Amino acid sequence: MAAAAAEATTDGGGKMIILISADGKRFEVTEAVASQSQLISNMIEDDCTENGVRLPNVDGDILTMVVDYCNMHAGDAAAAGDTMKASSTEEELKKFDAELVQALENPVLFKLILAANFLNIKSLLDMTCQRVADMMSGKTPEQMRETFSIENDFTPEEEAAIRQENAWAFDD
Amino acid sequence: MRPGETGKRVKGSPSRSGGADEDRIGCLPDGVLHHILGFLPAPDAVRTCLLARRWRHLWKSATGLRISEGYGVEKLHDFVHHLLLLRGGAPLDTFELGSIDLAVGDNRSMNLWFRHALLCQVRVLRLNVFGLELHDLPFVSRHLVKLELRFVILMHSFLDFSSCPVLEHLEIVSSELSGAKRISSQSLKHLNLTDCTFSENVRIRIDVPNLLSLWLQDYCCRTPVFEVMPLLVKAFVSVTGDSGDWLTCTSGNADSEECPHDDCELCYSNTNCMLLQALSQARSLMLVAQNQEFVFKRDMMRCPTFSNLKTLLLIDSFYVAFDLHGITCILRHSPVLEKLTLELFCQESEHILEMKGSYNQTERSSAIPEHLKSVVVKCGVIDERVTKVLKFLSTFNIRFSFE
Repeated sequence: MAAAAAEATTDGGGKMIILISADGKRFEVTEAVASQSQLISNMIEDDCTENGVRLPNVDGDILTMVVDYCNMHAGDAAAAGDTMKASSTEEELKKFDAELVQALENPVLFKLILAANFLNIKSLLDMTCQRVADMMSGKTPEQMRETFSIENDFTPEEEAAIRQENAWAFDD
Repeated sequence: MRPGETGKRVKGSPSRSGGADEDRIGCLPDGVLHHILGFLPAPDAVRTCLLARRWRHLWKSATGLRISEGYGVEKLHDFVHHLLLLRGGAPLDTFELGSIDLAVGDNRSMNLWFRHALLCQVRVLRLNVFGLELHDLPFVSRHLVKLELRFVILMHSFLDFSSCPVLEHLEIVSSELSGAKRISSQSLKHLNLTDCTFSENVRIRIDVPNLLSLWLQDYCCRTPVFEVMPLLVKAFVSVTGDSGDWLTCTSGNADSEECPHDDCELCYSNTNCMLLQALSQARSLMLVAQNQEFVFKRDMMRCPTFSNLKTLLLIDSFYVAFDLHGITCILRHSPVLEKLTLELFCQESEHILEMKGSYNQTERSSAIPEHLKSVVVKCGVIDERVTKVLKFLSTFNIRFSFE
């Protein structure tokens, strides 16, 4: 497994490219690391990364997290979905991922989701969306509104009508 | 989420202009919210219709459906019928029927539900329903990438995935395949068969020519026959006392094309009995024999050459399959082996003793592979059989030291 990872980085990861955040921070990463982003992978294919890749809607602090994530997961892509689950590096990755999302405050989490969505990094998007879903799961609509500061713009009558319309999904 | 298919009002999401909304879930585009809802249990996802106007219909486009027990059977039916009819054909990434205790007569509905998911272009399908009988209808999907089946009964005699051209992962766990005669897929890359029961009479044939990794663990009854897998990179095979069968050939049909018994002493010439042959292209192998010697031992009598094998892990708790003969045989047939690990635990033991072998290049025995760099022996206690193995390895000038 380690051998496969090493090969992946030497095969496609030799060339470096520069990512530039909205606030002008520069990150130098290998192509293998960067191409976990489908967006950047397409740009690499189209040969338009020469002068660095500007990411006008990703802040430096968020891009730091994204780059950390991609560095950790480089070489992982080749082995994605592999049935061999015994490797210790996989354990380390899980731990890294869990710590990454657990520690985030909601506003940062949402910004990270937007970045993962924009850069099209499926595994990061899945992981962060899963984290939001975990915060919603098992809660009543009122509790969900409270957790995410969602303003209820229904009138009580409208709310009752919708509850009636979807009665099949409510326990009572 | 599939780019281009979701997130209709994505561009410059409503809150991009700034303000407090920047920090809220409301700053996420619809496409992302559909994706988040897809990770929720289906009832929770539907109930988000009450949150606010924007949320009212989002659940209908959730990219995943996760349906599990938590209702009585009748309520479950009512719920799923509403869910599927009201969301229509919105594309699905994941469909999951999980931890449902099957009541008699549910088979038809559940078969219908997951077939509906296939029509919604589902990419990942998970069925975890105890006793669910999958009807003998072909799987047809141009989108299905991953199929996971647990605790199901496969009624198909032929698991033919030729109509699933992008299926890459197949995982069948704790399921009953005794009626299945064949599994076939040209696109499959990863196959996991764990705790499955195969037929007592017919050996299932597995035709997956593009497989990269194989996990075959603790099957019951007949050993599968694999067609060639030239691209295989790694394989894990674990056999127990229930694997293979213990009938002997009474008909004396050593020359017949296919002996009905896969461990028949009279049928060593039977080329269909080769499990190791199918694994011979792998770069990395893990072979586990739990109180079972036959499956591997028989194969080692006609040991193939593992021309790409670099890493080999042999686990033999009772030291029956990978005895001195077995180890020698494999070493002789693995010309490019770099790392050999032997685990010889007789019981679950708390201590793990690990010994690393080393040798001087100039003293290297010609009986061991030229590139072998690492030999590790792990055991609980150093008993007679471990001593035997160490002594044996020392005849190749491999010396051991404790880690």
